[in-house]
Amino acid sequence: MVSGVAYPVPVTSAISVSGLVKTFGSVRALDGLDLEVAAGEVHGFLGPNGSGKTTTIRVLLGLLRADAGSVRLLGGDPWDDAVSLHRRLSYVPGEVTLWPAITGGEVIDLIGKLRGGLDRRRRDDLLERFDLDPSKKARTYSKGNRQKVALVAGLASDAELLLLDEPTSGLDPLMESVFQRCIEEVKREGRTVLLSSHILAEVEALCDRVSIIRLGRTVESGTLTELRHLTRTSISVETKRPLAGLESLPGVFDAILDGTRARFDVDTAHLDETVRWLADLGVRGLTSTPPTLEEMFLRHYGDEVAVSEEKE
Amino acid sequence: MSATRPSQGDGTSGTAILLRFMLRRERRSLPWWLLGIGVLLAYQSAGSQSLYDSPEKLARLRETLGANTATIAMSGPRELLATIGGEVVFEIFAYLAVLVALMNMFLVVRYTRSDEETGRAELIRSARVGRHAPMAAALALAALANLAVGVVAFAAAAGTGLPAGGSVLLAAALAGVGITFAGLTAIAAQVFENPRAVYGAVGLAIGASFLLRALGDVGNGALSWLSPIGWGQRTFPYSGDRWWPLLLPLAAVAVTVPIAVSLQNHRDFGAGLLRSRPGRPTATAALGSPFGLAWRLQRGSVIGWTVGVLLLAVGYGSFGDSVEQFIADNPEVADYFPGGATDIINAYLAFTIAFLALLAAAFGVASCLRARSEETSGRAEPILATATSRSAWLGGHLSVALGGSLLVLVMAGLGEGLSYGLAVSDLGQIPRLIGVALVWTPAVWLVVAVAVFGFGWLPRIAAIIAWILVGYCSVVTLFADSFDLPGWSTNASPFWHTPQAPLESVTAMPLLIVSALTALLVAAGFAGLRRRDLGY
Repeated sequence: MVSGVAYPVPVTSAISVSGLVKTFGSVRALDGLDLEVAAGEVHGFLGPNGSGKTTTIRVLLGLLRADAGSVRLLGGDPWDDAVSLHRRLSYVPGEVTLWPAITGGEVIDLIGKLRGGLDRRRRDDLLERFDLDPSKKARTYSKGNRQKVALVAGLASDAELLLLDEPTSGLDPLMESVFQRCIEEVKREGRTVLLSSHILAEVEALCDRVSIIRLGRTVESGTLTELRHLTRTSISVETKRPLAGLESLPGVFDAILDGTRARFDVDTAHLDETVRWLADLGVRGLTSTPPTLEEMFLRHYGDEVAVSEEKE
Repeated sequence: MSATRPSQGDGTSGTAILLRFMLRRERRSLPWWLLGIGVLLAYQSAGSQSLYDSPEKLARLRETLGANTATIAMSGPRELLATIGGEVVFEIFAYLAVLVALMNMFLVVRYTRSDEETGRAELIRSARVGRHAPMAAALALAALANLAVGVVAFAAAAGTGLPAGGSVLLAAALAGVGITFAGLTAIAAQVFENPRAVYGAVGLAIGASFLLRALGDVGNGALSWLSPIGWGQRTFPYSGDRWWPLLLPLAAVAVTVPIAVSLQNHRDFGAGLLRSRPGRPTATAALGSPFGLAWRLQRGSVIGWTVGVLLLAVGYGSFGDSVEQFIADNPEVADYFPGGATDIINAYLAFTIAFLALLAAAFGVASCLRARSEETSGRAEPILATATSRSAWLGGHLSVALGGSLLVLVMAGLGEGLSYGLAVSDLGQIPRLIGVALVWTPAVWLVVAVAVFGFGWLPRIAAIIAWILVGYCSVVTLFADSFDLPGWSTNASPFWHTPQAPLESVTAMPLLIVSALTALLVAAGFAGLRRRDLGY
């Protein structure tokens, strides 16, 4: 695990946060958070519930004032320059509350106009792709449809930065794939996306880099490939000679030995030497499974899981 | 309540648990309704008994009031004026009945249609809870609340020295009005999909009840029997004690509740019998600004307050002409008006316009606090994430609050001027009284400014601060003269420093000071909003 978070600072950064602290009364919601998002990338923002993702986004929107640390957004200060910065970004909240008597189409137009303009063709195209009826009053929308209103409002702009706070909660798999295609288009246009999400398949499909936060602090940040190096690969192997001594190799965990067959996890850093050791025993068959994002996620999230692994 | 089809099992299972839960949720708001009802009744009872403390005075009152159509329309049937207890019922019953009806409307809607709209009821209904259980529990809650109204009303009436028998009848009549409207609300909650439409329909029914009994009481009484409020008044507590009209509310419940149950069997969860119509697929140009949004959100309440105050003002104005005669007959009443018996018409106009100005302030506070509910509900967030500054956003809501309260003041002057002007054949009263009403603008706006200041610096308690100020101004304005409140206790009210035109001459200084204070508080409120966290 990398702490202290050393990653290359991008040439132009859309978002640059370091040492961000935000407290509410006695609760320290953000406790020295760091976040770097390069211009033009789709950045995954991962963390368990209550880890501070939404609070971070609210600071980036200038709705909350940072207690300590530095925050730069599109070269400006999100608190002091809120209005001018907001012309250049669009925001999709995770929990969408709308005005009961106003229709979805009216909300989309209102948000567009208040941001400083709306691309009508793009708006109508998105309504069609998300299969949303804009003439219904908001009180009659389901949760998924309310989410679609916010998504269409957010995606209909040509903002250079999109802040998306769990934007697909409540969407069905079909709409999820529509959303993914939209983000791919945004990326091709060279725009920047900060995507807070719980849906790991979505993050794996869309994101160039990810930051994982926990308890208001960044615990890991980097490309998915880089992060995979920090975790373990699962290997299942059969050799000619018995595998005695495997369990005591450095970096090997959870080994289940059965004579010439074994299943075990190995730290990616020790993968090379472990495979050499296996080769000396004469490999008959070998499958290796790279760590999924989900496994990385669980390692950082679940305290119990992590503790029990360390003990073994 | 158990009129369910056998195939559905027990449609009311879980009612008892739900009722306990509802009582818990009501423990903060219900006591205030009861307190308000009790205090109003006790105040009226004590006041009337000390004002008309001799049979001669009561007889004189009977002559004046019994001959005045406007008073009958605003109060009740003249038969009530036979005794002092009846006089209390005459003056206050219709208003208490409207309060009790509103209480029942809010109770029943909150636990039926509102819970369905927010999805809370879905969670409840997914448990082992019958289809009709939430409505059954809500009606049981309403029944308990009406019982409590009865107990409070009896205590207030008998406690201020009115005969016990009539007090029991008065209490039962009030509870009867309540349970009738609970049943009507249960039906409306099945018909309409959203709570506002239910409030609108039941509110209309309450208004119609008041109007029907007014027309009936002025005429031959027949129309009063179409009104649940009329049923209550025509039990004639203390002046005849007629018990059988109490059967009418019971009959009403026996009809309305089965209808509501049957309607509920014919609709889907969350749906109404009337489906809501589609709206505009695109926004008009008018919606594209913070003010446009604030206006759109509040235009319904602006129209409601404007029309309500206009009607009230027309009522007050029409009474103006007969005030002189009334005061000559009942000199004690003059103590309630600033300036006493001299120049009594002006005193009356000043007093009623001051009261309407308090309503304008109440509107302004409610309107301004809309910004706070937008913030806490999360609806302000997507707006403030656009290129809309906090000041522009709050400015939108404040414009509606200030402009709307100004409009309410104009309506107060227009209404009083129109009906009083017609009565005395002088339409010049319209501009004159509009001018009189507008003198209150600085005071009304100062109250709104305090709400803005609270919103900027103490958002969590802004509503409490602003409403306490409205209550305080009301007490000072309405009761300071008659209760001889000490000078120090009235000085903090901007209403106290406003000259009571047309009785007093208008001087610029107090108005300028109040206006300067208003501007200062608004500016400070905006500054506070610019520097605080949003959404908490």
